[in-house]
Amino acid sequence: MPGTLRRTRSILDFALASLLRRKGRNAALLGVYTLVVFVAASLVFFTQAVKREAHQVLADAPGLVVQRTLAGRQDLVPLAWADWVRGLRGVRSVRPRWWGYYYDGAFGANFTVQASEDAALPAGSARIGAGAARILRVKEGDLITLRGHDNLPLLLTVQGILSSDSELVASDLLLLPREDFQTLFGLPPDQATDLAVDVANPRELPTLAAKIAERYPEARPILHSEILRTYDAIFDWRGGLLVAVLMIAVLCFAIFAWDRAAGLSAEERREIGILKSIGWETSDVLLLKLLEGLAVSLTAFLSGCVLAYGHVFLFSAPLFEGALKGWSVLYPRYRLVPVVDGYQLSLLFLLAVVPYTAATLIPGWRAATVDPDAAMRS
Amino acid sequence: MGRRGRWHGGLAAAILALPLAAGQAPSAREKCPVCGMFVAKYPDWMAVLRFKDGSALAFDGPKDLFTAYLDLKRYAPGRSPADVAAIEVKDYYSLRVVDGFRAVFVIGSDVAGPMGRELVPFAEAGDAAAFLKDHRGRRSLRFGEVTAAVLRSLP
Repeated sequence: MPGTLRRTRSILDFALASLLRRKGRNAALLGVYTLVVFVAASLVFFTQAVKREAHQVLADAPGLVVQRTLAGRQDLVPLAWADWVRGLRGVRSVRPRWWGYYYDGAFGANFTVQASEDAALPAGSARIGAGAARILRVKEGDLITLRGHDNLPLLLTVQGILSSDSELVASDLLLLPREDFQTLFGLPPDQATDLAVDVANPRELPTLAAKIAERYPEARPILHSEILRTYDAIFDWRGGLLVAVLMIAVLCFAIFAWDRAAGLSAEERREIGILKSIGWETSDVLLLKLLEGLAVSLTAFLSGCVLAYGHVFLFSAPLFEGALKGWSVLYPRYRLVPVVDGYQLSLLFLLAVVPYTAATLIPGWRAATVDPDAAMRS
Repeated sequence: MGRRGRWHGGLAAAILALPLAAGQAPSAREKCPVCGMFVAKYPDWMAVLRFKDGSALAFDGPKDLFTAYLDLKRYAPGRSPADVAAIEVKDYYSLRVVDGFRAVFVIGSDVAGPMGRELVPFAEAGDAAAFLKDHRGRRSLRFGEVTAAVLRSLP
């Protein structure tokens, strides 16, 4: 047994030495290989992490959101609806919500504005997200000015900065008392943006949605599961966009690698011939080629994955930002929570390491089965 | 590892022997005595049969509870209906634990439990009637009206 091990070690030694002999070419190959794995792994890490983040955020979302549509567009919901929905069987609570978007021309930023019914947030004050504070250059206790729908300025004291552990969501948020929200946008007092409905038994949600839609034909009930599905679809679509780009890179690499690995140069063929004539067996040559291929592909896979991990989880994926994050001018600055899906990673391993290794093995086997004399002559 | 596993098993048995407090969730390993499924996986449907000596049996739905209750000789040998102190089922709308003896059960609805067609429990007759209409139920029954024949009609 130690004999086999020693032999394998010697062949590995030889394989590494022969890789080093063609340093330039192999380094270029390794570089491109690593880059492809890096992009693919970054993509996998990023979409997984963002999806998980979205699921976590939406875990607290209400089971059912009721909107009202007017000519197919979202409109304000009369508060009378809330009272009717509250009377339905199985409903635990109905909460009207007020939210919207505010564009600040001076800073060129879009903010999400939400009304809070928290008694600890008195009229004339606001709580803002960390990103919003950064853009507006304010801290706790400072004043911010928003321009109301009637062109009158609305002055608010910053009562606090929202914690940054939920920055993906809360970064661009301005939390206002309800009265100030209504003044800012000129909202009628008896209407809300939408209704958040909570039920005890989620099994009853589709029935409730059907009842609401029947009573108010212009209502649009949105189930929690539908929101989750939409988010998944969005991230899958955005991920798909990048996959399309990645495909081109992978194809380029495939041509390059095939050329490198499959067609043995005359020099390499002669080398195999010499090895065989000095007593190497076909299996030894195959092991040599296998180890060469593994050395390159494993190094590329591991370094690509490590680089991707750093790129996504330490530097928040700066390369993907434009394509994968939201449309808002104000990008949340945040760190993704590391999640590594073993299934996805092993799939990547299978796609990255196995084909290359196989591609190096076949021509080696073909060369090794040729008569050494003929190989050296050619 | 074997010894540790046994120790855990012993601990679980010790916990199981303790009476379940009202509304308390069963342990993750407790199985329904009728169908053998894990009860803790279906908290919305849990039904508990409590005996006067403090012991209890947990089921993954009222249907299995009735199966056992109507055939105690088989599922709880040595006990009779007179030994039953309380029956707990969960109200469909509120998911609160309610008294099974006074609950109303709806059969034939389009709502399925872990074991397929169920007797859906309600604390109030009004809720049961509304459910019967919303979910196209067949009948609503009082506790005493649930017989072996009714159970046989629920595949």
